[in-house]
Amino acid sequence: MSIRSFAVAAAFVALAAVPVPPAQAQDAPPTPLTLGATIPLADAKLRNVDGKDVTIASLRGKKGTLVVFTCNACPWAKKWETRMAKLGNDALKRGVGVVAINANDPERNKEDGYDVMQERAQQRGMKFAYAMDRTSEVARAFGASRTPEAFLFDASGALVYHGAIDDNADDAAKVTKPYLENAINAIATGKAVGTAQTKALGCSIKFRPKAS
Amino acid sequence: MIRIACALVALLLAGCSSEPRQDAPAARAPAGAASPDTAAPVLVPIDAPGIVAAVRAGGAKATLVNVWASWCQPCREEFPDLVRLARELEGRGFRVVFVSADFADDLPNAEAFLAEHGVSGPTYVKTGDDMQFIDTLDPSWSGALPGSFLYDGAGRRVRSWEGKASYDSLRARVLPVLDSASGS
Repeated sequence: MSIRSFAVAAAFVALAAVPVPPAQAQDAPPTPLTLGATIPLADAKLRNVDGKDVTIASLRGKKGTLVVFTCNACPWAKKWETRMAKLGNDALKRGVGVVAINANDPERNKEDGYDVMQERAQQRGMKFAYAMDRTSEVARAFGASRTPEAFLFDASGALVYHGAIDDNADDAAKVTKPYLENAINAIATGKAVGTAQTKALGCSIKFRPKAS
Repeated sequence: MIRIACALVALLLAGCSSEPRQDAPAARAPAGAASPDTAAPVLVPIDAPGIVAAVRAGGAKATLVNVWASWCQPCREEFPDLVRLARELEGRGFRVVFVSADFADDLPNAEAFLAEHGVSGPTYVKTGDDMQFIDTLDPSWSGALPGSFLYDGAGRRVRSWEGKASYDSLRARVLPVLDSASGS
């Protein structure tokens, strides 16, 4: 056996012995709803900050429905909180139903508790529902992974926007792309949403354990 | 015999490799975890292309980019295991590149956290557009923290994951990349 053929043969032996990781493997991230999807678990009960149970179905608007997964404790959610309250209040006036949902387990962080939700809704002047997903199952059904994360459905109930509030959490004055506002404007005026999917950094949702 | 074979594999692979490498900007020092010097932690601003360049310029056989924040509880829980693994496998060519996603007003907390865990010298703080940052590291990343991205010695991303990982699972993900690089 020549040196060259030995080297090639040895290469095959060695390659077979060395585990090679699959190219660009991604460890099972949540799979969010795709554009066009309808609202999942729309009849699931969520505890609103006014003490009453609501469902997403009961909060749908004539022009569409905005569902935002958020929380009290996440610094990103806090940065966007004031802007989100204004966006939600304005959307309500334009016939878009709005619900902010906290799916975080308060056992992981007391600041994500129901009483703090009530305080925060009052402080920010939220005129829309801010409700607790007491099993995190609604968030799981949406494939939501972070806070804040917005899902906007049109009048027919189809998902037309998924993603971030805008392109600058840290400084509202430096926002150049008001993604969610643009999408709300589009469905409120019967137009197609331009940028339908965006991303931003965010806190992971602190899911409650799945019911056995 | 297997040692000889592995050495030959390394020679063959090195001889066949023609992928150009992109050099990092000179001003960007490679960030490492738990190096033995005593310099205070410094957070160097970096954008997504800068991270890619830093990974390729590091000369490591495996590089883990970990995006974290000082107030992110899963990040804080995972951090000591990342530092431990970086120390243990440094001699085999493993390197961790920490990229903080803290806001400007939280940077003192981030630096204090790094110092508390014995991370000295330069590490990074993310700048620039979120979408570009996320999609450059991995288009399938949702943007939730912590995010981890494992690269081989050629700067190719071989694996990524969201959320914290245990020490054992981190080690199990990194070792095959190092083993592949060394042919051991």
